[in-house]
Amino acid sequence: MAPKDIGLEHIFQEEFEIKGGDFINAGEASCKIRNILKEIGIDANIIRRVAIASYEAEMNVVMFARRGIMGFTVTPDKIFITVDDEGQGIEDIELAMQPGYSTATPEMREMGFGAGMGLPNIKKNADTFNISSTVGVGTKLEIIINMNGNNYNG
Amino acid sequence: MADVIPPHSIKIDENNCIGCVRCMKACPTKAIRVRNKKARLINERCIDCGECLRVCPYNAVIPLTTSPSDLNSFKYRIAIPSPVLYSQLGQHIMPSEILSTLKEIGFDYVYDEALVCEMTGIVIEEYLDENKSPRPIISSTCPVVVRLIQRLFPDLCQLIIPIEPPRETAAKNLRKEISKEFKISEEDIGIIHITPCPAKIVSINRPETLNKSFLDGAISIHEIYNSIMINLKKLERPTMLKSQGEISGIGISWAMAGGEIRGLKYYHSVSVSGVYDTIKILEDVEAGRLKDIEYLECLICPDGCIGGPLTVENRFIAKSNILRLIRIFGDKRRVDTHFVKQLYKEKLFSFERGIAPKPFPPLAKDKGEAIKRLKLKEKIIKKLPRTDCGVCGAPDCETFAEDIACGETALKDCVFLNPVKESASL
Repeated sequence: MAPKDIGLEHIFQEEFEIKGGDFINAGEASCKIRNILKEIGIDANIIRRVAIASYEAEMNVVMFARRGIMGFTVTPDKIFITVDDEGQGIEDIELAMQPGYSTATPEMREMGFGAGMGLPNIKKNADTFNISSTVGVGTKLEIIINMNGNNYNG
Repeated sequence: MADVIPPHSIKIDENNCIGCVRCMKACPTKAIRVRNKKARLINERCIDCGECLRVCPYNAVIPLTTSPSDLNSFKYRIAIPSPVLYSQLGQHIMPSEILSTLKEIGFDYVYDEALVCEMTGIVIEEYLDENKSPRPIISSTCPVVVRLIQRLFPDLCQLIIPIEPPRETAAKNLRKEISKEFKISEEDIGIIHITPCPAKIVSINRPETLNKSFLDGAISIHEIYNSIMINLKKLERPTMLKSQGEISGIGISWAMAGGEIRGLKYYHSVSVSGVYDTIKILEDVEAGRLKDIEYLECLICPDGCIGGPLTVENRFIAKSNILRLIRIFGDKRRVDTHFVKQLYKEKLFSFERGIAPKPFPPLAKDKGEAIKRLKLKEKIIKKLPRTDCGVCGAPDCETFAEDIACGETALKDCVFLNPVKESASL
């Protein structure tokens, strides 16, 4: 399908700040994203994929970075999520992408996090997934999920 | 009976409504607006929780439960009272006395729902045994919770246990058995649930999981209370009724929150009651945080069905009464487990069809238009005072902004942006 011309009024954008180490408010950004998508009338399956991807990305910032900004953009065809964090960065991205690999502390695991499924889960639920990282500076994620033309029909 | 089946369990009586904002403020799904000094119900947003009914001081919210006079349209009348009824008439009245009183006031046959509650507990266990994932499995008992999930958490419909609530299973079985035993045609039998809430009438009129409800109506406890009271006084006590020996405290406990999970071998089950706590826990389920919980009982009324808006007794007293009955009748199952498992295999308890998601209508059907309206809404919110006063006729500033974005109302209705000039003097 050829990309159709969309005006600025059909693009919704919002930014969320995520604090590293803030487990109390962890998950709020992805919860807000979920509610926005419900209001727009996005298909439940797409919402679920966006919610999982954004939640895992948010948790990565909470667990491993000092702070991060999550950008959220929705157009009639696509949903874009970007994460740009300041933190330790990832040394070996290939290794980090492997299911089960995690550098989470025992305390985090005790809380039920750090199963090593974060990045693989994001990739699984995204149509496009890009990651880049600089050790000691931070990590950037880009997630795109396509709508497949599913309109509200209830 | 009305020709057109009403979509909900309540209606607003415009003669009594004075246009205050109480019901609109109390509504958890923002389904009420006040327009021209009258409350208006938005059908697609109402989940029949009855919060509006609780708060209205002007008798303007009318429950649409079955009237006792409608009983006359049936040749043979069966009552299936909710076990909540046992908590409503003081602590010295036994279930058997209440059941026999119902026979004095127009019912030909009375069946104790507590028995099927106990059976359904066994069936829940069977289902959890057979289906190890996904989790948590959510109770189907409260029709408001089912509607809430369909509307607000459509993705969770698949977690609702595909087992009919006890009232439907009881009616299903009774209609067949009574028809056979007393040689009455099934159509001549009227099976009436005696209910603590108006929501049951919607699940009877518009069942989600059955082609047709097995119940013919639901009379509120509130409406039948006086005649039970009067007849109880006439009763010669003590009364022995066969059913007394069969029921246990397990079934009776379904009247209150925690009843369904009482005695469940899956100990990692959770009971939640009250509309806001239910929404909160369902948000957690949706976020995937509760996958280690086996069974989740959610009841929309505070403390469960004993807190229903059509009950009479104070719910704390009612709870104490139920706890007393549990002590008397014991905490052990009495029904034959093998028999129940057999009935489960025969699908006596099963849904006829699954629960379909029915999400709230979005800002617009077209996604581009919905995004446009969402942006407009955000822009409007910034102009509003955020006092959530409700004078504009919407429950809060955010909903007001949404209504404007959808073209349903205009910014001029905000009294902070357009102060009303003082005209009247005292």
